[in-house]
Amino acid sequence: MRDVAVIGIGGTRFGKYPEKSITDFGVEACLKAIRDANVKPKDIQLAYAGNLAQWQWGQGLLIGQVVLREIGITKIPITRVENGCATASCAFREAWYKVATGACDVALAFGVEQMTVVDSGKMLSVFTGRQYPELSGDMGFTAPGIFALMAKRHMEEFGTTREQLAMVAVKNRKYGAANPDAQLTAPVTVDEVLNARMICDPLTLPQCCPRGDGAAAVILASKEKAKQYTSRPVYVAASIQVSGSYPQDQSYTYFDTDARGAKAAYEMAGLGPEDMDLAEVHDCFSMAEITHYEDLGFCKKGEGGRFIQEGQSDIGGKIPVNTSGGLLSKGHVIGATGISQINEVVKQLRGQAGKRQVPGAKVGLQHNAGGFIHTDTACCVIHILKR
Amino acid sequence: MSASQKKSRYIDENWFTRDRHGVALLGSKCEACDKVFFPKKLVCPDCFDGKLTEIPLSRNGRLHTYAQAIMGPANLKKPYIMGFVDLPEKIKLYSLIVDCEPWNEVLKIGMDVELVVRKFGTDRHGNEIISYMFRPTTGGK
Repeated sequence: MRDVAVIGIGGTRFGKYPEKSITDFGVEACLKAIRDANVKPKDIQLAYAGNLAQWQWGQGLLIGQVVLREIGITKIPITRVENGCATASCAFREAWYKVATGACDVALAFGVEQMTVVDSGKMLSVFTGRQYPELSGDMGFTAPGIFALMAKRHMEEFGTTREQLAMVAVKNRKYGAANPDAQLTAPVTVDEVLNARMICDPLTLPQCCPRGDGAAAVILASKEKAKQYTSRPVYVAASIQVSGSYPQDQSYTYFDTDARGAKAAYEMAGLGPEDMDLAEVHDCFSMAEITHYEDLGFCKKGEGGRFIQEGQSDIGGKIPVNTSGGLLSKGHVIGATGISQINEVVKQLRGQAGKRQVPGAKVGLQHNAGGFIHTDTACCVIHILKR
Repeated sequence: MSASQKKSRYIDENWFTRDRHGVALLGSKCEACDKVFFPKKLVCPDCFDGKLTEIPLSRNGRLHTYAQAIMGPANLKKPYIMGFVDLPEKIKLYSLIVDCEPWNEVLKIGMDVELVVRKFGTDRHGNEIISYMFRPTTGGK
C-alpha cells in the first residue's frame, strides 16, 4: 500500500445552531479543508460522507452529494458512511484505503451532524430497540449508564476515585477553554464537577459530553501527489478498524475493541504507545478516557485513575490527551467527531494548536469508539499520524 | 375497554420460559461447545457447529456492577438502579436491580442476586408489561 498524507483540514465550531441547515455545516467544513489543502474541487476524485442518523426528516440521506454539489464536486463516486459514534473515522478510513490502494490520488472525507433539533427522548429511541435487553431503552440502559457501570466496577477493583474521574473533565475543559472551536469554553474545578447535577452515579453532568451541531473535513492525497500541494503533509502511519467481541466472562473494566485495535495500530505503524506525543481519545464520559488510557497502553491496567491524577495526560506529562478539549468540551457531534479528532492531531503535528500546542509533537494517535453492544463498543477506529 | 379485559404480556415473549419452579429466562445452549446465549440464538455464534437446545437460565447470579440512574427513559420512575449480573452459565446480563433500598448500603459488587419477574410498566392500551429484574438474594442465602 502507498503512503497517504492528510493535506487539508477544516471544521466548524461545534455548538447549537438549530437555525442552520445540515448542508451549511458540511459546506463550511469542506470548503475550509479544500482551501487549506490548496486543491481545487475538480481535483477530488472520490469522497466519503459521515452522517449517523436522520434526527429529523430532510437530513441525512445522500448527504455527501447534497453537500458536495454546493461546491462543484459532482460526478465522482460519493458514499455515505454510518458506524455509530465512529462514523467520521470510518469515512476517513475508507478514503485513506482508496488512496493507499491506488484507486485514486486525491480524496475527501467529511462528517456532519445536526443533533440539537431533537429532544433526548427521540435521540434515545434512535439508539435503542427491543433486540437485546441492553439496547432496549425502556429497560433503562443509557449511554451514561454504560460508563457509570464501568466506573463502579473500576472503582471496586482498582480503587479509582470520584475525584480522579472528575479530573478528566477538569483537564479537558481546561483545554477546551484554549480551543476556539469548542462548545464549552469555561474551565471547571474538581469541586464544581463533583457537586454538579448527578446524571448516573458516579457521573455528574460535566463528566458527560454535550451533543451539538457541526462538521469536520479532510483532504487526503498519495505521498507523491501531496508534494504538489503542500510542504507540511501529515502521514497516516496506521489506520485500524475493529468490531466488538462482546465478552461475557471478563471483568467489565475494559474494552476489548480498544486493546485489539491499539495492538494492531502500533504494529502497523511500527511504533509503541511510548512514541506517541499526544492522543485524541473518545472521552464521551470521564470514565471512558480513563479506560482508554489503559486499553491503549498509555499506562497499565487499573492505573488510569493515577495516570490522570499525576498529570500524565496533561501537556508536560507522558502523553497529553485531548488537547482539543475532547468531546467533553467540543460536544459529541456524532457524525463529525472522528474527523474533528484527526484535525486536532494534524494541527498539533503542524504546530498550529496555539495555546494548547504540545511542543515538538511529531506523532499523534486518534481513537474513536462507536456504538455499544452488550459489553463492548461495536466499532473502534484508531489512526496514528506522523509528520 | 374494561379493566377485566386488560391482559398482561412479557416485554419480549422470546426471553421467557417456564419450568417446574415457575418463570425463568430462556437461553440456548450449544451442544458442541457448551456455550450458553441469551436471548436464544439461531446458530452458535462461537463455533457455528452443533445443535442449539433451549434451556432455562439460572435464577441466581452475582452482581458484577451497578449504578444509580437519575436520568433515563420516560417510562421508568427515576432514580432507578441498573446493573450487570453474572449468571453461572457465563452470561453477563443487563438488568434493572430492584428491592435494594437504601441502594448505597445494600448493594455490593459480587453479592448474590436472584431473578424476579414482575410488572415492569403499562403499554398504551393499559396492558401490564412483565419483565425480568434482579434483586439481592432473599431467604438468608
